[in-house]
Amino acid sequence: MAERRDDAPDKAREEFFSEASELVDGFGRHLLALEESVESGHGPDPETLNDIFRGVHTLKGLSGLFGAATLSGLSHELENLLDDLRLGRIPLSTAVLDLLFDAVELYGRILSALKGEQAEPREEVLTLLASLAAVSNERSGNVAFIAEYELAPETLGVLTEYEEHRLRSNLQAGLALYRLKAKFPLATIDSALEELKLRVRPVGEIITYLPTGDGGDLDAIDLEILVASRSAAAELRQAVDSDAVLVEEVKKRDLSQARTPPAPRVSERTDDSAIDLPDGRETPSPPAADEDEPPHVSMHPAPQVHEAAVMPAAAAGRDISLRSVTQTVRVDIRKLDRLMNALGELSLVRGALLRYAEKLRSEPATRRLGMDLLGVHRAFERQLAQMQSGILEVRMVPLGQVFDKLARIVRQVSREQNKSVHFVVTGGETEIDKLIVEELSDPLLHMIRNAIDHGIEPIPERAAAGKPDTGTVALNAYQQGNHVVIEVEDDGRGIDPHAVLHKAVTMGLVSMEDAKSFSLEEAVSLVFMQGFSTRDTATAMSGRGIGMDIVKTRIAKLGGLVDIVSEVQIGTKITLTLPVTLAIVGVLTFVVEATVYCMPLSSMEEAVVFDAALVREVDGREVMTHRGVTLPVVRLARLFSEPPAPQRATKQFLIVARVGTRRLGMVVDRLIEQQDVVIKALGRTLGHVRGFAGATDLGDQRVALILDVPSLIEECLTAAEGRRANDASLAFRFGEGS
Amino acid sequence: MSALIHDGERSDHLVFALAGELYAVALESIHEIVKVGPITRVPRARADILGVMGVRGRLVTVLDLRRSIQVQDAPIDARSRVLLLQVDEEDVGFLVEEVREVERFTPSQIEPASVLGGIERPYLRGVARRGPEMLVLIDLLPILPGREGSALNVGGQGHSYPGGGAP
Repeated sequence: MAERRDDAPDKAREEFFSEASELVDGFGRHLLALEESVESGHGPDPETLNDIFRGVHTLKGLSGLFGAATLSGLSHELENLLDDLRLGRIPLSTAVLDLLFDAVELYGRILSALKGEQAEPREEVLTLLASLAAVSNERSGNVAFIAEYELAPETLGVLTEYEEHRLRSNLQAGLALYRLKAKFPLATIDSALEELKLRVRPVGEIITYLPTGDGGDLDAIDLEILVASRSAAAELRQAVDSDAVLVEEVKKRDLSQARTPPAPRVSERTDDSAIDLPDGRETPSPPAADEDEPPHVSMHPAPQVHEAAVMPAAAAGRDISLRSVTQTVRVDIRKLDRLMNALGELSLVRGALLRYAEKLRSEPATRRLGMDLLGVHRAFERQLAQMQSGILEVRMVPLGQVFDKLARIVRQVSREQNKSVHFVVTGGETEIDKLIVEELSDPLLHMIRNAIDHGIEPIPERAAAGKPDTGTVALNAYQQGNHVVIEVEDDGRGIDPHAVLHKAVTMGLVSMEDAKSFSLEEAVSLVFMQGFSTRDTATAMSGRGIGMDIVKTRIAKLGGLVDIVSEVQIGTKITLTLPVTLAIVGVLTFVVEATVYCMPLSSMEEAVVFDAALVREVDGREVMTHRGVTLPVVRLARLFSEPPAPQRATKQFLIVARVGTRRLGMVVDRLIEQQDVVIKALGRTLGHVRGFAGATDLGDQRVALILDVPSLIEECLTAAEGRRANDASLAFRFGEGS
Repeated sequence: MSALIHDGERSDHLVFALAGELYAVALESIHEIVKVGPITRVPRARADILGVMGVRGRLVTVLDLRRSIQVQDAPIDARSRVLLLQVDEEDVGFLVEEVREVERFTPSQIEPASVLGGIERPYLRGVARRGPEMLVLIDLLPILPGREGSALNVGGQGHSYPGGGAP
């Protein structure tokens, strides 16, 4: 008997895990962007840093709520480091980036430890915490620079750390500082301020607004606005274009005067004055030039000041944990499956409705009523179709979700291996069923790892081969009809078919006799054989075997196919062809003897009348010439040992099935119609049966099986391929390459 | 060892007929009893799997219990029923000839399967006496393909068969 459990905490826990992993994913994604901006010489993008900071802050709050101590401890230390980075107190070096990437990895492991999937990485967390603390100690506190300007201590005292940082960065970058003084009537302050912001934006960055407290006017507020700008005072005045606003430059202090003591650091804004900024966005600002680095000023000729509103940093931190930012709802995919099932039931109801309507219409007495009912039926049908595509849409997610994670792996693996790898991703926006995405990450991970492990050569080897030091691993995705194609391509050393064959023979996977008849392409495909290259993966041989058979099985389970093309010294390309969705498929229903089957439209090219006279038997297999190409043919009645129908069909049909580049003709007895069906998985009880992707209710209470074309093609073609003699010279070249 | 035998409580069983003999399964394992609908044959499936059947939108794999436990075959007729089970989120059905009644057995009525002699069958749980009648108590789970292995290998942990036990 199952243990009874309260539902609510479970749900909250699930919610926690999904939100936490979403945050961690976002963290990783932002880090990659950050790394890119640093590598391109632009310095860290302040907006990205802010995003990361906020994510970690939220994570800290979440983990606190759920008593996940390690998680909240790590988040706390990270938050400090990120705050230092954000405020420019420490430079974003490669070492710091590495620490941050490590943190993403550890977050993942801690989360799965919390789920009980693995042991908590206690040691690693402690090591990382120590490293984080070490970095934080290096921070360079420097306020002296600001103190050289004629700013009142009371002004400096209320600057938030973030504002202070922006102020310092701008001053260091050589911008001039201006003080704008204006009086705003309370009634129109919002619009007036907004207008002023718009005017200032093109020429400068607004650091802060401060009420001065002078004036004593009850209906108006005096504001002092600090603006950093590259322009001269006259230009700024022109931009502001208002007599009511006084523009003056804040000069450096006369050095003969006594220095004002450094302003105290205030992390929280103490005055919550009447200034409610209408535009609450944070400030993306020009990349901060850190004093440790050469100033990047020359790279940004025009001051790129986009936004004027400055949100106090501390306040931003306070808000996020309370407010849910997105408009999204997380839904368990099983709930969608249930909806989909309900929808399947509804289409059965629709079928019954249609039958009754037609029956009514055929009787003269009820003809009228029948017509009306048919009208209702049509409307119902339309709505059903809309609902179906709506639910399907919800199930679809961009592949980018997986790709982002892979980018982190590439970074990690190439570092481990001391290889230089450029990872190029295209088509991350291609959408595919959520269930497929979930199942894809492991196979893709294997493939990418292999590409770096075994494909990309160490730098000296690349140099010797005349290739650039940096290898390229490309990940491309695109939609092709009802399929999504994902390619993983590298410009590494490629797979040597002779070495693969040699190894397959030594491992006893292929007999010497068979080996002689393999073509070069077939030899490369041996890496997918179960048991191939599970050991000595680090030999000089070009085999890339870790788990390629697993990749193949997993992809096949999703109704997809794997193809591999490789050329020695040029590189390797592995192509996955996957269905877009698993839930609903368009099928052609057909009859074999007396049984109805479904053929997914996505896997078929055409259906034509079958001419038995065209069939030839070659090597014990039937083939025919179809549209000028040789097409292997299989008679489904024979393949499925179908009990004969009472009446023999006079003519038969040929359905040409295709997955990837492989085609197979299937001989059937009668074609029925095309329709959309909801796929229901065959249970584990039928796990031993190959050739069927699932079953569906056709609406007449009868269940029809849906063909699993990839597995049928595999079954009917693979055995044949091995026999084809193609490159006899191969057999004599054993031993080379290893 | 099974709770059925040792905790002294009486347990409800569903009694059904197969090839003229009476069998019984623990009632709690049966989710539903349905009439036999159109069953679609699944090519290349194990011989005792009749095929798949739709039951209110759910897909049920139907096994012919007679073939599973190798008793004499008989045609499906109006009295035939399918016993529905839910196993690991999968719907599985067992075709039986006729469902008789629910019977409550006390532990003293039940004898271990070893009294039957012959080859050990993982699905045999014992024999129950009801007056002059003898009912064979069976467990349907070990009959399912892909699961018989686990049931056999973990003998004593998951299922336990009186008199049989793990080797």
